[in-house]
Amino acid sequence: MLMQAELVWLVGAVAKGDTAAFERLYGATRAKLYGVLLRILGKPELAEEVMQETYLKVWTMADKFDPTLASPITWMVAMARNRAIDIVRKRGEISIEDEPEAQNVAAETPAPLARREMTEELKRLLSCLGKLDPEKQRIVLLAYYSGWSREQLSTKLDIPVNTIKTWLRRSLLEIRECMGH
Amino acid sequence: MYDDAQDALAAEYVLGTLSADEREHAEALLTLDPGFAASVRMWERRLGELNVMVEAVEPPPELWDKIVAEFGAVEPSSEAPPAAPVLATAEPPVETPPETPPAESPPLIMADEPGTDSIPIPPPPVGELPEAVSDSIAASLAKSLAEPAEERTERVTAPPVVPPDVESKFESKDEYKLERSANVVQLARGVSRWRRMTVVMGAIAALLALYIGLAQFAPGLVPLGPRTQVVAQAPGPAQLGARLVAVLQQEPTAPAFLLTVDPQSRTLVVRRVSATPEAGRSYELWLISSQFPAPKSLGVVGNDEFTQRPIPGNFDVATLRAASYAVSLEPSGGSPSGVPTGPVLFTGKIVESVPTAAPAPRT
Repeated sequence: MLMQAELVWLVGAVAKGDTAAFERLYGATRAKLYGVLLRILGKPELAEEVMQETYLKVWTMADKFDPTLASPITWMVAMARNRAIDIVRKRGEISIEDEPEAQNVAAETPAPLARREMTEELKRLLSCLGKLDPEKQRIVLLAYYSGWSREQLSTKLDIPVNTIKTWLRRSLLEIRECMGH
Repeated sequence: MYDDAQDALAAEYVLGTLSADEREHAEALLTLDPGFAASVRMWERRLGELNVMVEAVEPPPELWDKIVAEFGAVEPSSEAPPAAPVLATAEPPVETPPETPPAESPPLIMADEPGTDSIPIPPPPVGELPEAVSDSIAASLAKSLAEPAEERTERVTAPPVVPPDVESKFESKDEYKLERSANVVQLARGVSRWRRMTVVMGAIAALLALYIGLAQFAPGLVPLGPRTQVVAQAPGPAQLGARLVAVLQQEPTAPAFLLTVDPQSRTLVVRRVSATPEAGRSYELWLISSQFPAPKSLGVVGNDEFTQRPIPGNFDVATLRAASYAVSLEPSGGSPSGVPTGPVLFTGKIVESVPTAAPAPRT
Protein backbone atom coordinates (compact mmCIF):
# COMPACT_ATOMS: atom_id res chain seq x y z
CA MET A 1 0.00 0.00 0.00
CA LEU A 2 1.33 3.35 -0.91
CA MET A 3 1.84 5.64 1.99
CA GLN A 4 -0.99 8.04 2.50
CA ALA A 5 1.36 10.97 2.00
CA GLU A 6 2.29 9.60 -1.37
CA LEU A 7 -1.33 9.33 -2.40
CA VAL A 8 -1.91 12.91 -1.32
CA TRP A 9 1.06 13.94 -3.39
CA LEU A 10 -0.29 12.03 -6.38
CA VAL A 11 -3.67 13.73 -6.14
CA GLY A 12 -1.87 17.07 -5.99
CA ALA A 13 0.04 16.19 -9.13
CA VAL A 14 -3.16 15.04 -10.84
CA ALA A 15 -4.67 18.42 -10.04
CA LYS A 16 -1.88 19.95 -12.10
CA GLY A 17 -2.71 17.68 -15.00
CA ASP A 18 0.04 15.14 -14.46
CA THR A 19 -1.16 12.09 -16.37
CA ALA A 20 1.63 9.85 -15.12
CA ALA A 21 0.59 10.62 -11.56
CA PHE A 22 -2.97 9.87 -12.53
CA GLU A 23 -1.96 6.47 -13.77
CA ARG A 24 -0.06 5.75 -10.59
CA LEU A 25 -3.03 6.88 -8.54
CA TYR A 26 -5.21 4.56 -10.56
CA GLY A 27 -2.79 1.71 -10.00
CA ALA A 28 -2.75 2.35 -6.28
CA THR A 29 -6.50 2.68 -5.78
CA ARG A 30 -8.28 0.74 -8.53
CA ALA A 31 -8.59 -2.58 -6.70
CA LYS A 32 -10.05 -0.96 -3.61
CA LEU A 33 -12.57 1.09 -5.59
CA TYR A 34 -13.52 -1.82 -7.77
CA GLY A 35 -13.99 -4.02 -4.72
CA VAL A 36 -16.29 -1.46 -3.12
CA LEU A 37 -18.29 -0.98 -6.32
CA LEU A 38 -18.60 -4.63 -7.15
CA ARG A 39 -19.97 -5.36 -3.73
CA ILE A 40 -22.64 -2.71 -4.10
CA LEU A 41 -23.48 -3.03 -7.77
CA GLY A 42 -23.04 -6.77 -8.15
CA LYS A 43 -22.52 -6.59 -11.88
CA PRO A 44 -19.00 -6.12 -13.26
CA GLU A 45 -20.26 -4.04 -16.23
CA LEU A 46 -21.90 -1.57 -13.89
CA ALA A 47 -18.93 -1.49 -11.57
CA GLU A 48 -16.66 -0.73 -14.52
CA GLU A 49 -18.93 2.03 -15.67
CA VAL A 50 -18.85 3.70 -12.30
CA MET A 51 -15.09 3.19 -12.14
CA GLN A 52 -14.79 5.21 -15.33
CA GLU A 53 -17.02 7.93 -14.02
CA THR A 54 -15.24 8.07 -10.73
CA TYR A 55 -11.75 8.33 -12.16
CA LEU A 56 -12.94 10.96 -14.58
CA LYS A 57 -14.30 12.87 -11.62
CA VAL A 58 -11.05 12.39 -9.75
CA TRP A 59 -9.25 13.87 -12.73
CA THR A 60 -11.53 16.88 -13.00
CA MET A 61 -11.87 17.49 -9.29
CA ALA A 62 -8.42 16.71 -7.98
CA ASP A 63 -7.86 20.38 -7.30
CA LYS A 64 -10.83 20.35 -4.94
CA PHE A 65 -9.38 17.59 -2.84
CA ASP A 66 -8.53 18.69 0.66
CA PRO A 67 -6.21 16.34 2.53
CA THR A 68 -7.24 17.86 5.85
CA LEU A 69 -10.79 16.62 5.34
CA ALA A 70 -10.22 13.11 4.09
CA SER A 71 -7.57 10.72 2.90
CA PRO A 72 -7.40 10.33 -0.88
CA ILE A 73 -8.78 6.82 -0.74
CA THR A 74 -11.66 7.86 1.50
CA TRP A 75 -12.43 10.72 -0.84
CA MET A 76 -12.40 8.50 -3.89
CA VAL A 77 -14.38 5.72 -2.27
CA ALA A 78 -16.99 8.24 -1.08
CA MET A 79 -17.46 9.49 -4.65
CA ALA A 80 -17.64 5.99 -6.06
CA ARG A 81 -20.05 4.72 -3.43
CA ASN A 82 -22.25 7.74 -3.76
CA ARG A 83 -22.61 7.22 -7.47
CA ALA A 84 -23.13 3.47 -7.09
CA ILE A 85 -25.88 3.99 -4.55
CA ASP A 86 -27.55 6.54 -6.80
CA ILE A 87 -27.60 3.91 -9.51
CA VAL A 88 -28.99 1.10 -7.40
CA ARG A 89 -31.64 3.34 -5.88
CA LYS A 90 -32.75 4.72 -9.20
CA ARG A 91 -32.97 1.44 -11.02
CA GLY A 92 -35.26 0.21 -8.26
CA GLU A 93 -34.91 -2.11 -5.40
CA ILE A 94 -36.17 -5.26 -7.12
CA SER A 95 -33.11 -5.82 -9.29
CA ILE A 96 -31.17 -6.96 -6.28
CA GLU A 97 -33.09 -10.15 -6.70
CA ASP A 98 -31.24 -10.94 -9.91
CA GLU A 99 -27.98 -10.79 -8.06
CA PRO A 100 -27.72 -13.92 -6.03
CA GLU A 101 -24.31 -12.99 -4.74
CA ALA A 102 -25.72 -9.87 -3.17
CA GLN A 103 -28.21 -11.95 -1.29
CA ASN A 104 -25.60 -13.98 0.38
CA VAL A 105 -25.82 -12.52 3.82
CA ALA A 106 -23.18 -14.89 5.09
CA ALA A 107 -20.54 -13.23 2.95
CA GLU A 108 -21.73 -9.79 3.89
CA THR A 109 -18.88 -8.58 6.00
CA PRO A 110 -15.35 -8.50 4.72
CA ALA A 111 -12.66 -10.53 6.30
CA PRO A 112 -11.08 -8.99 9.34
CA LEU A 113 -7.80 -7.36 8.69
CA ALA A 114 -4.58 -7.23 10.51
CA ARG A 115 -4.26 -4.58 13.10
CA ARG A 116 -1.35 -2.91 11.39
CA GLU A 117 -3.59 -2.09 8.46
CA MET A 118 -5.92 -0.18 10.69
CA THR A 119 -5.67 3.55 10.83
CA GLU A 120 -6.31 5.31 14.10
CA GLU A 121 -9.57 6.62 12.72
CA LEU A 122 -10.68 3.14 11.82
CA LYS A 123 -9.82 1.76 15.21
CA ARG A 124 -11.84 4.50 16.81
CA LEU A 125 -14.78 3.86 14.52
CA LEU A 126 -14.64 0.15 15.12
CA SER A 127 -14.50 0.47 18.85
CA CYS A 128 -17.58 2.70 18.66
CA LEU A 129 -19.33 0.26 16.36
CA GLY A 130 -18.38 -2.47 18.80
CA LYS A 131 -20.43 -0.77 21.47
CA LEU A 132 -23.59 -1.22 19.45
CA ASP A 133 -25.42 -4.45 19.90
CA PRO A 134 -24.46 -7.06 17.31
CA GLU A 135 -27.61 -6.80 15.30
CA LYS A 136 -27.19 -3.07 14.94
CA GLN A 137 -23.54 -3.42 14.03
CA ARG A 138 -24.70 -5.75 11.36
CA ILE A 139 -27.18 -3.41 9.76
CA VAL A 140 -24.74 -0.52 9.73
CA LEU A 141 -22.03 -2.66 8.17
CA LEU A 142 -24.38 -4.30 5.72
CA ALA A 143 -25.64 -0.92 4.65
CA TYR A 144 -22.10 0.31 4.13
CA TYR A 145 -20.69 -2.71 2.38
CA SER A 146 -23.66 -3.79 0.34
CA GLY A 147 -25.22 -0.41 -0.23
CA TRP A 148 -28.59 -1.63 0.91
CA SER A 149 -31.49 0.67 1.57
CA ARG A 150 -33.64 0.43 4.67
CA GLU A 151 -36.19 -1.53 2.68
CA GLN A 152 -33.60 -4.00 1.50
CA LEU A 153 -32.19 -4.39 4.99
CA SER A 154 -35.71 -4.99 6.19
CA THR A 155 -36.35 -7.68 3.58
CA LYS A 156 -33.01 -9.41 3.93
CA LEU A 157 -32.96 -9.47 7.67
CA ASP A 158 -36.67 -9.87 8.15
CA ILE A 159 -36.95 -6.91 10.45
CA PRO A 160 -39.75 -4.35 10.06
CA VAL A 161 -38.60 -1.35 8.09
CA ASN A 162 -39.59 1.05 10.84
CA THR A 163 -37.37 -0.84 13.23
CA ILE A 164 -34.52 -0.65 10.74
CA LYS A 165 -35.09 3.05 10.41
CA THR A 166 -35.05 3.59 14.15
CA TRP A 167 -32.03 1.38 14.68
CA LEU A 168 -30.06 3.02 11.93
CA ARG A 169 -30.67 6.49 13.21
CA ARG A 170 -30.02 5.62 16.80
CA SER A 171 -26.90 3.68 15.90
CA LEU A 172 -25.53 6.47 13.78
CA LEU A 173 -26.13 9.08 16.43
CA GLU A 174 -24.54 6.80 19.01
CA ILE A 175 -21.52 6.42 16.76
CA ARG A 176 -21.36 10.18 16.49
CA GLU A 177 -21.44 10.64 20.25
CA CYS A 178 -18.93 7.88 20.77
CA MET A 179 -16.50 9.31 18.22
CA GLY A 180 -16.64 12.53 20.09
CA HIS A 181 -17.59 15.06 17.45
CA MET B 1 -23.93 19.80 16.95
CA TYR B 2 -26.20 20.35 14.04
CA ASP B 3 -29.83 19.42 14.51
CA ASP B 4 -30.08 15.67 15.16
CA ALA B 5 -32.73 14.89 12.58
CA GLN B 6 -30.76 16.67 9.89
CA ASP B 7 -27.54 15.09 11.04
CA ALA B 8 -29.12 11.64 10.91
CA LEU B 9 -30.29 12.41 7.40
CA ALA B 10 -26.72 13.36 6.51
CA ALA B 11 -25.46 10.16 8.12
CA GLU B 12 -27.90 7.98 6.24
CA TYR B 13 -27.12 9.81 3.04
CA VAL B 14 -23.47 8.93 3.48
CA LEU B 15 -24.24 5.40 4.62
CA GLY B 16 -26.46 5.00 1.57
CA THR B 17 -29.67 3.77 3.17
CA LEU B 18 -31.94 6.54 1.89
CA SER B 19 -34.45 5.94 -0.87
CA ALA B 20 -34.04 7.66 -4.23
CA ASP B 21 -36.42 10.45 -3.22
CA GLU B 22 -34.76 11.01 0.10
CA ARG B 23 -31.39 11.10 -1.59
CA GLU B 24 -32.65 13.75 -3.94
CA HIS B 25 -33.86 15.75 -1.02
CA ALA B 26 -30.53 15.36 0.73
CA GLU B 27 -28.70 16.47 -2.41
CA ALA B 28 -30.85 19.58 -2.60
CA LEU B 29 -30.05 20.36 1.01
CA LEU B 30 -26.40 19.76 0.28
CA THR B 31 -26.39 22.58 -2.23
CA LEU B 32 -28.46 24.97 -0.18
CA ASP B 33 -27.51 24.44 3.40
CA PRO B 34 -23.88 24.80 4.46
CA GLY B 35 -24.68 23.23 7.80
CA PHE B 36 -26.00 20.14 6.13
CA ALA B 37 -23.02 20.03 3.79
CA ALA B 38 -20.70 20.16 6.79
CA SER B 39 -22.66 17.34 8.36
CA VAL B 40 -22.23 15.21 5.26
CA ARG B 41 -18.48 15.87 5.18
CA MET B 42 -18.21 14.86 8.80
CA TRP B 43 -20.05 11.65 8.18
CA GLU B 44 -17.93 10.86 5.15
CA ARG B 45 -14.99 11.24 7.43
CA ARG B 46 -16.48 9.18 10.24
CA LEU B 47 -17.68 6.27 8.13
CA GLY B 48 -15.24 6.52 5.26
CA GLU B 49 -12.59 4.48 6.97
CA LEU B 50 -14.78 1.42 6.71
CA ASN B 51 -13.53 1.03 3.16
CA VAL B 52 -10.30 -0.31 4.62
CA MET B 53 -12.17 -3.47 5.43
CA VAL B 54 -13.62 -4.00 1.99
CA GLU B 55 -11.73 -6.59 0.08
CA ALA B 56 -9.92 -5.24 -2.94
CA VAL B 57 -10.77 -6.77 -6.28
CA GLU B 58 -8.60 -6.31 -9.32
CA PRO B 59 -10.63 -4.72 -12.16
CA PRO B 60 -10.19 -5.99 -15.72
CA PRO B 61 -6.96 -4.65 -17.25
CA GLU B 62 -8.74 -3.03 -20.18
CA LEU B 63 -10.59 -0.69 -17.83
CA TRP B 64 -7.67 1.69 -17.79
CA ASP B 65 -7.82 2.03 -21.58
CA LYS B 66 -11.48 2.90 -21.34
CA ILE B 67 -10.75 5.57 -18.77
CA VAL B 68 -7.97 6.98 -20.89
CA ALA B 69 -10.26 6.98 -23.90
CA GLU B 70 -12.69 9.26 -22.08
CA PHE B 71 -10.14 11.98 -21.71
CA GLY B 72 -10.86 13.29 -25.14
CA ALA B 73 -14.11 14.60 -23.75
CA VAL B 74 -12.94 16.22 -20.57
CA GLU B 75 -9.68 18.07 -20.35
CA PRO B 76 -9.81 20.43 -17.44
CA SER B 77 -6.21 21.44 -17.18
CA SER B 78 -5.33 23.37 -20.28
CA GLU B 79 -1.63 22.90 -19.78
CA ALA B 80 -1.94 19.18 -19.45
CA PRO B 81 -1.39 17.09 -22.54
CA PRO B 82 -4.09 14.57 -23.30
CA ALA B 83 -3.39 11.36 -21.51
CA ALA B 84 -1.65 8.93 -23.76
CA PRO B 85 -3.20 5.53 -23.89
CA VAL B 86 -1.14 3.22 -21.80
CA LEU B 87 -1.53 -0.39 -22.62
CA ALA B 88 0.61 -1.93 -20.01
CA THR B 89 -0.24 -1.39 -16.42
CA ALA B 90 2.50 0.58 -14.85
CA GLU B 91 2.18 -0.89 -11.42
CA PRO B 92 1.22 -4.13 -9.92
CA PRO B 93 -1.98 -3.92 -7.95
CA VAL B 94 -1.20 -2.37 -4.67
CA GLU B 95 -4.02 -4.03 -2.91
CA THR B 96 -4.57 -7.64 -3.67
CA PRO B 97 -7.64 -9.62 -2.82
CA PRO B 98 -7.17 -11.70 0.25
CA GLU B 99 -6.52 -15.35 -0.37
CA THR B 100 -8.97 -16.52 2.19
CA PRO B 101 -12.67 -16.30 1.59
CA PRO B 102 -14.65 -14.07 3.91
CA ALA B 103 -15.40 -15.74 7.16
CA GLU B 104 -18.87 -17.03 7.72
CA SER B 105 -19.56 -14.67 10.54
CA PRO B 106 -16.51 -12.53 10.76
CA PRO B 107 -16.00 -10.70 13.97
CA LEU B 108 -16.03 -6.98 13.70
CA ILE B 109 -12.93 -6.74 15.77
CA MET B 110 -10.08 -9.17 15.49
CA ALA B 111 -10.38 -11.90 18.03
CA ASP B 112 -6.68 -11.84 18.69
CA GLU B 113 -6.76 -8.18 19.47
CA PRO B 114 -8.52 -7.81 22.72
CA GLY B 115 -7.10 -4.34 23.01
CA THR B 116 -9.16 -3.10 20.10
CA ASP B 117 -12.25 -4.67 21.40
CA SER B 118 -14.55 -2.88 23.66
CA ILE B 119 -17.16 -4.18 25.96
CA PRO B 120 -20.34 -4.24 23.94
CA ILE B 121 -23.05 -2.40 25.75
CA PRO B 122 -26.29 -3.83 24.50
CA PRO B 123 -28.67 -0.99 23.82
CA PRO B 124 -32.17 -1.38 25.15
CA PRO B 125 -34.43 -3.61 23.11
CA VAL B 126 -36.45 -1.78 20.54
CA GLY B 127 -39.64 -1.96 22.53
CA GLU B 128 -37.96 -0.06 25.30
CA LEU B 129 -36.61 2.76 23.20
CA PRO B 130 -37.70 6.02 24.69
CA GLU B 131 -40.87 6.73 22.81
CA ALA B 132 -40.16 10.40 22.59
CA VAL B 133 -36.84 9.85 20.90
CA SER B 134 -37.92 7.44 18.23
CA ASP B 135 -41.10 9.37 17.65
CA SER B 136 -39.38 12.66 17.24
CA ILE B 137 -36.92 11.15 14.79
CA ALA B 138 -39.69 9.53 12.83
CA ALA B 139 -41.61 12.76 12.88
CA SER B 140 -38.72 14.83 11.68
CA LEU B 141 -37.99 12.35 8.98
CA ALA B 142 -41.59 12.43 7.88
CA LYS B 143 -41.33 16.18 7.88
CA SER B 144 -38.16 16.28 5.93
CA LEU B 145 -39.65 13.88 3.46
CA ALA B 146 -42.89 15.74 3.11
CA GLU B 147 -41.19 19.03 2.55
CA PRO B 148 -39.72 18.89 -0.91
CA ALA B 149 -42.54 17.14 -2.71
CA GLU B 150 -43.23 20.16 -4.84
CA GLU B 151 -39.61 20.88 -5.38
CA ARG B 152 -39.02 17.34 -6.47
CA THR B 153 -41.75 17.49 -9.01
CA GLU B 154 -40.37 20.74 -10.18
CA ARG B 155 -36.93 19.35 -10.62
CA VAL B 156 -38.25 16.53 -12.69
CA THR B 157 -40.41 18.59 -14.96
CA ALA B 158 -38.47 21.77 -15.46
CA PRO B 159 -35.79 21.95 -18.07
CA PRO B 160 -32.28 22.20 -16.79
CA VAL B 161 -30.25 25.22 -17.62
CA VAL B 162 -27.77 23.77 -19.98
CA PRO B 163 -25.11 26.09 -21.21
CA PRO B 164 -24.74 25.07 -24.83
CA ASP B 165 -21.00 24.86 -24.60
CA VAL B 166 -21.23 22.52 -21.68
CA GLU B 167 -23.63 20.20 -23.31
CA SER B 168 -21.70 19.88 -26.50
CA LYS B 169 -18.56 19.05 -24.60
CA PHE B 170 -19.94 15.73 -23.66
CA GLU B 171 -20.64 12.93 -25.99
CA SER B 172 -23.45 11.42 -24.05
CA LYS B 173 -26.06 12.48 -21.58
CA ASP B 174 -24.40 10.31 -19.02
CA GLU B 175 -21.18 12.17 -19.26
CA TYR B 176 -23.05 15.35 -18.94
CA LYS B 177 -24.86 14.07 -15.90
CA LEU B 178 -21.59 13.06 -14.44
CA GLU B 179 -20.24 16.53 -14.90
CA ARG B 180 -23.37 17.94 -13.39
CA SER B 181 -23.12 15.80 -10.36
CA ALA B 182 -19.53 16.89 -10.15
CA ASN B 183 -20.82 20.42 -10.13
CA VAL B 184 -23.03 19.64 -7.23
CA VAL B 185 -20.18 18.21 -5.26
CA GLN B 186 -18.04 21.13 -6.26
CA LEU B 187 -20.71 23.44 -5.07
CA ALA B 188 -21.02 21.69 -1.78
CA ARG B 189 -17.29 21.99 -1.40
CA GLY B 190 -17.42 25.58 -2.44
CA VAL B 191 -19.98 26.37 0.16
CA SER B 192 -17.82 24.89 2.84
CA ARG B 193 -14.57 26.34 1.62
CA TRP B 194 -14.54 29.05 4.26
CA ARG B 195 -14.22 26.39 6.86
CA ARG B 196 -11.14 24.89 5.43
CA MET B 197 -9.56 28.26 5.16
CA THR B 198 -10.36 29.55 8.55
CA VAL B 199 -11.21 26.97 11.12
CA VAL B 200 -10.39 23.44 12.08
CA MET B 201 -13.13 20.89 12.22
CA GLY B 202 -13.51 21.10 15.96
CA ALA B 203 -14.26 24.76 15.76
CA ILE B 204 -17.04 24.10 13.29
CA ALA B 205 -18.92 22.05 15.78
CA ALA B 206 -18.61 24.91 18.20
CA LEU B 207 -19.85 27.38 15.63
CA LEU B 208 -22.73 25.17 14.73
CA ALA B 209 -23.59 24.66 18.34
CA LEU B 210 -23.58 28.39 18.76
CA TYR B 211 -25.82 28.68 15.78
CA ILE B 212 -28.24 26.09 17.06
CA GLY B 213 -28.12 27.78 20.42
CA LEU B 214 -29.00 31.03 18.78
CA ALA B 215 -31.85 29.36 17.02
CA GLN B 216 -33.18 28.12 20.31
CA PHE B 217 -32.91 31.30 22.23
CA ALA B 218 -33.75 33.71 19.50
CA PRO B 219 -35.82 31.74 17.05
CA GLY B 220 -36.87 34.86 15.23
CA LEU B 221 -33.27 35.62 14.49
CA VAL B 222 -32.36 32.27 13.02
CA PRO B 223 -35.50 30.67 11.73
CA LEU B 224 -33.73 27.73 10.22
CA GLY B 225 -35.68 25.15 12.15
CA PRO B 226 -39.12 25.82 10.69
CA ARG B 227 -37.78 25.29 7.20
CA THR B 228 -40.29 22.57 6.52
CA GLN B 229 -43.38 24.49 7.44
CA VAL B 230 -42.20 27.48 5.56
CA VAL B 231 -41.74 25.67 2.31
CA ALA B 232 -45.04 23.94 2.68
CA GLN B 233 -47.08 27.07 3.17
CA ALA B 234 -45.35 29.68 1.12
CA PRO B 235 -45.58 30.24 -2.59
CA GLY B 236 -41.86 29.93 -2.74
CA PRO B 237 -39.22 28.58 -5.04
CA ALA B 238 -41.12 25.35 -5.43
CA GLN B 239 -43.18 27.01 -8.09
CA LEU B 240 -40.19 28.05 -10.08
CA GLY B 241 -37.70 26.36 -12.26
CA ALA B 242 -35.27 26.99 -9.47
CA ARG B 243 -31.98 26.49 -11.17
CA LEU B 244 -29.63 29.20 -10.03
CA VAL B 245 -29.18 29.73 -6.38
CA ALA B 246 -27.15 32.13 -4.30
CA VAL B 247 -26.74 32.06 -0.57
CA LEU B 248 -26.35 35.60 0.62
CA GLN B 249 -24.63 35.70 3.91
CA GLN B 250 -22.38 37.62 6.15
CA GLU B 251 -21.34 34.85 8.42
CA PRO B 252 -20.81 31.40 7.06
CA THR B 253 -23.01 29.66 9.57
CA ALA B 254 -25.93 31.95 9.00
CA PRO B 255 -27.22 32.42 5.52
CA ALA B 256 -29.39 35.51 5.61
CA PHE B 257 -31.10 35.19 2.26
CA LEU B 258 -31.41 32.50 -0.32
CA LEU B 259 -31.70 33.90 -3.79
CA THR B 260 -33.10 31.72 -6.52
CA VAL B 261 -32.98 32.83 -10.13
CA ASP B 262 -34.94 31.19 -12.88
CA PRO B 263 -33.57 32.39 -16.18
CA GLN B 264 -36.41 30.78 -18.15
CA SER B 265 -39.21 32.67 -16.57
CA ARG B 266 -36.88 35.56 -15.66
CA THR B 267 -38.08 35.41 -12.13
CA LEU B 268 -36.22 35.72 -8.90
CA VAL B 269 -37.18 34.59 -5.46
CA VAL B 270 -35.54 35.86 -2.34
CA ARG B 271 -36.12 33.81 0.72
CA ARG B 272 -35.41 35.49 3.99
CA VAL B 273 -33.62 33.03 6.20
CA SER B 274 -32.14 34.80 9.14
CA ALA B 275 -32.26 38.48 8.27
CA THR B 276 -34.65 40.34 10.50
CA PRO B 277 -36.55 43.27 9.11
CA GLU B 278 -35.40 46.57 10.50
CA ALA B 279 -37.97 49.20 11.27
CA GLY B 280 -37.94 52.06 8.82
CA ARG B 281 -35.35 50.48 6.59
CA SER B 282 -35.40 48.14 3.65
CA TYR B 283 -33.13 45.46 2.35
CA GLU B 284 -32.28 45.99 -1.28
CA LEU B 285 -30.92 43.34 -3.60
CA TRP B 286 -28.12 44.18 -6.01
CA LEU B 287 -26.51 42.53 -8.96
CA ILE B 288 -22.80 43.14 -9.23
CA SER B 289 -21.24 42.35 -12.56
CA SER B 290 -17.99 43.25 -14.25
CA GLN B 291 -20.15 44.37 -17.15
CA PHE B 292 -21.50 47.31 -15.24
CA PRO B 293 -19.56 50.02 -13.49
CA ALA B 294 -22.03 50.09 -10.60
CA PRO B 295 -24.32 47.57 -8.92
CA LYS B 296 -27.72 47.17 -10.54
CA SER B 297 -30.69 47.19 -8.26
CA LEU B 298 -32.91 44.13 -8.36
CA GLY B 299 -35.39 45.78 -6.07
CA VAL B 300 -36.29 45.91 -2.46
CA VAL B 301 -36.69 42.68 -0.55
CA GLY B 302 -40.17 42.42 0.93
CA ASN B 303 -40.88 41.74 4.56
CA ASP B 304 -42.42 38.35 3.92
CA GLU B 305 -40.63 35.08 3.99
CA PHE B 306 -40.47 35.04 0.22
CA THR B 307 -40.18 37.84 -2.26
CA GLN B 308 -40.90 36.77 -5.79
CA ARG B 309 -40.72 39.05 -8.77
CA PRO B 310 -39.65 39.31 -12.38
CA ILE B 311 -35.99 40.09 -12.80
CA PRO B 312 -35.79 43.77 -13.66
CA GLY B 313 -33.52 44.89 -16.46
CA ASN B 314 -32.44 42.89 -19.42
CA PHE B 315 -29.60 40.78 -18.10
CA ASP B 316 -28.74 37.73 -20.12
CA VAL B 317 -28.28 34.33 -18.55
CA ALA B 318 -24.51 34.49 -18.67
CA THR B 319 -24.55 37.75 -16.78
CA LEU B 320 -26.97 36.43 -14.21
CA ARG B 321 -24.81 33.40 -13.77
CA ALA B 322 -21.52 35.19 -13.44
CA ALA B 323 -22.70 38.00 -11.22
CA SER B 324 -22.31 38.43 -7.52
CA TYR B 325 -25.33 39.37 -5.51
CA ALA B 326 -25.51 41.58 -2.49
CA VAL B 327 -28.03 42.94 -0.08
CA SER B 328 -27.63 46.36 1.43
CA LEU B 329 -29.58 48.09 4.12
CA GLU B 330 -31.28 51.14 2.66
CA PRO B 331 -33.80 53.73 3.71
CA SER B 332 -37.35 52.45 3.62
CA GLY B 333 -38.40 51.83 0.04
CA GLY B 334 -34.89 51.41 -1.28
CA SER B 335 -31.91 53.46 -2.24
CA PRO B 336 -32.93 56.92 -3.39
CA SER B 337 -30.01 57.21 -5.76
CA GLY B 338 -30.07 53.87 -7.54
CA VAL B 339 -26.78 52.76 -6.06
CA PRO B 340 -26.24 51.23 -2.64
CA THR B 341 -26.10 53.90 0.03
CA GLY B 342 -26.26 51.80 3.15
CA PRO B 343 -23.93 49.07 4.33
CA VAL B 344 -23.69 45.97 2.17
CA LEU B 345 -24.62 43.32 4.65
CA PHE B 346 -24.78 40.12 2.69
CA THR B 347 -23.12 38.87 -0.45
CA GLY B 348 -22.99 35.68 -2.43
CA LYS B 349 -22.23 34.14 -5.78
CA ILE B 350 -24.74 32.24 -7.78
CA VAL B 351 -24.39 28.54 -8.25
CA GLU B 352 -26.23 26.07 -10.35
CA SER B 353 -28.81 24.24 -8.37
CA VAL B 354 -29.64 20.58 -8.39
CA PRO B 355 -29.90 19.33 -11.95
CA THR B 356 -33.20 18.20 -13.29
CA ALA B 357 -33.66 14.60 -14.22
CA ALA B 358 -35.52 14.96 -17.46
CA PRO B 359 -35.90 18.07 -19.56
CA ALA B 360 -39.49 18.89 -20.33
CA PRO B 361 -40.99 21.96 -21.90
CA ARG B 362 -42.30 24.57 -19.55
CA THR B 363 -45.40 26.48 -20.25
